[in-house]
Amino acid sequence: MKNKTIVLGIGNIGRQDDGLGWLFLDFLKEEGFKGIDVEYRYQLQIEDAELISHYDKVVFVDATIENIKDGFYYRICEPSDKFGFSSHELEPETILFLENDLYNKNPKAFILGIQGYKWNLKMGLSKEAKANLDKAEKFFSSVGTSSV
Amino acid sequence: MSKKLVIDPVTRVEGHGKVTVHLDDNNKVTDAKFHIVEFRGFERFIQGHPYWEAPVMVQRLCGICPVSHHLAAAKAIDQIVGIEPEDLSVPAQKIRKLLHFGQVFQSHALHFFYLASPDLLFGAESDPLKRNVVGVAMEYPELAKKGILMRKFGQEIIKLVAGKRIHGISTTPGGVHKRVSAKERTYFLDGKDIPSIDTMIKWSIEIIDFMKSYHITNKEFLDTFAKYPSGHLGLVNKKNGFLELYDGVLRATDSDGNITLNDVPNDDYNQYFYESVKRWTYLKFPYLKHLGKEKGWNRVGPLARINICEGIETPLAERERLDFKAITNGGINNMTMYTHWARLIEVLYCAEMMKNLLEDDDILSNDLTRKGERRKEGIGIIEAPRGTLIHHYEVDDKDRITRCNLIVSTTHNNEPMNQAVRWVADNVLDGKPKITEGMLNQVEVAIRAYDPCLSCATHALGQMPLEISLYDSLGNIIDVRRN
Repeated sequence: MKNKTIVLGIGNIGRQDDGLGWLFLDFLKEEGFKGIDVEYRYQLQIEDAELISHYDKVVFVDATIENIKDGFYYRICEPSDKFGFSSHELEPETILFLENDLYNKNPKAFILGIQGYKWNLKMGLSKEAKANLDKAEKFFSSVGTSSV
Repeated sequence: MSKKLVIDPVTRVEGHGKVTVHLDDNNKVTDAKFHIVEFRGFERFIQGHPYWEAPVMVQRLCGICPVSHHLAAAKAIDQIVGIEPEDLSVPAQKIRKLLHFGQVFQSHALHFFYLASPDLLFGAESDPLKRNVVGVAMEYPELAKKGILMRKFGQEIIKLVAGKRIHGISTTPGGVHKRVSAKERTYFLDGKDIPSIDTMIKWSIEIIDFMKSYHITNKEFLDTFAKYPSGHLGLVNKKNGFLELYDGVLRATDSDGNITLNDVPNDDYNQYFYESVKRWTYLKFPYLKHLGKEKGWNRVGPLARINICEGIETPLAERERLDFKAITNGGINNMTMYTHWARLIEVLYCAEMMKNLLEDDDILSNDLTRKGERRKEGIGIIEAPRGTLIHHYEVDDKDRITRCNLIVSTTHNNEPMNQAVRWVADNVLDGKPKITEGMLNQVEVAIRAYDPCLSCATHALGQMPLEISLYDSLGNIIDVRRN
């Protein structure tokens, strides 16, 4: 029996701050958030459109290079038919568009973007990214399961 | 003023490459090349690692075909621990094959539905904003949904055997570390949670039927586009010459079907192949020694495999192979665009083989590993989705890898892809007063037929935008287009 919410963490812990998405999933699991499924992704895949069609709510979590005042943002994901030049570049908005177009279940969708700074072939977050991850975790801990 | 056209990067392929086309004052093509501009050097940095780490490390070459590298390395490491492919336990052989067929199935499905079908459905010169998987989903939703679920099925098979859909681990030296449970295989057979393996077979036939219909209405395009003579190389079953993806002997033919490599055992590959290098690309050019650089290069992948094999062991795919061969009256097919059709026959073959293996109780057995006498060298060759993949390792007395040689599928296809680029340059771009986006996409259509995995071939990291630049003969940019 699936839960009603799925959280997709995108990234690679072998590339420093690119691991933010996965580490946030680790946090969700460790904290024991109820009612959610989690999936780790190096990159989004086209079949994720089918996957999210089975849920009422989807949250995409990824590191971002955007300069964010609070270190992270949590915003609504709007479907978009934009398409990158390769299969390695599928955006959450495109996955949501494909879900809406092909399966028409239209789950509520959000993006949690956490600012990262370093992307080298190395394990471990930068100090700044770790601080931003802490802020995002604190926020979600305070508002509870319904926020996720 | 002479000009140079640059397509950088080539789109809807796995990895990054670029194409340059040189034009003279009259827009006549003077040269055309397909460059691979990535470099990572896996062969070098794996040296010094313990041999048992190889199957785990090398799969990081690629996120599309990690299973192929994992299995090729595993076969080589089996030899290091004294185990030939036929010495593996029967359950281990079947579990590995199940993993491999899942991999080829999902990779071929990804390529056809995601990368190639936009060109076929909308046309190579159609609106580029529509000519992608999103466009396919909007106009052909049922086709897109099947493509997604076929890809998912293959990925789920990989997850079943290797634990993860990408970069999972299944093999151990001399075997596999996990059996399949009865409950796990039921997931793929009963159709309750995902479409069943029988549905996969049904859909595979439907997609081939689509290709046959496309052939009727687009025969001239398929027959002529990027057609050129070449050699064809791959593995075949050592007993009967049938299509073989996991373990067989090396066979090659020339463009007329004459045998140029006669069922050579894997261990002897090094006696037959050379690799040349060129200054303008990181990708090497393999060729058969005895034929030389000019005549010794071969296509690999679906078209080559269907060309060189004498049959397919599964009945439905064999029926399709016979239909396919009838087009060339049983002879060799040198028409590049038929690679898509050959790929779909392999999709059906993989689906049939997965059904056979899922219904085989051997995969439930705990008899998973074997041990033999330690050796210093191991060679593993399999047919990856894109073609013949060779892994070769040497180790010292302290179990450290001292030498690694990888010849990946896309490397074999380097010269064929360059031939394809030259064909389009000569037949589509040559002498045209204006080069359109649609014309440039035809260069990519020719390359895409090979489903090149450029990340595997040279192995890069990074990000590039799509950029097409027009240079004059002095190297000055006179026009740039960005995606």
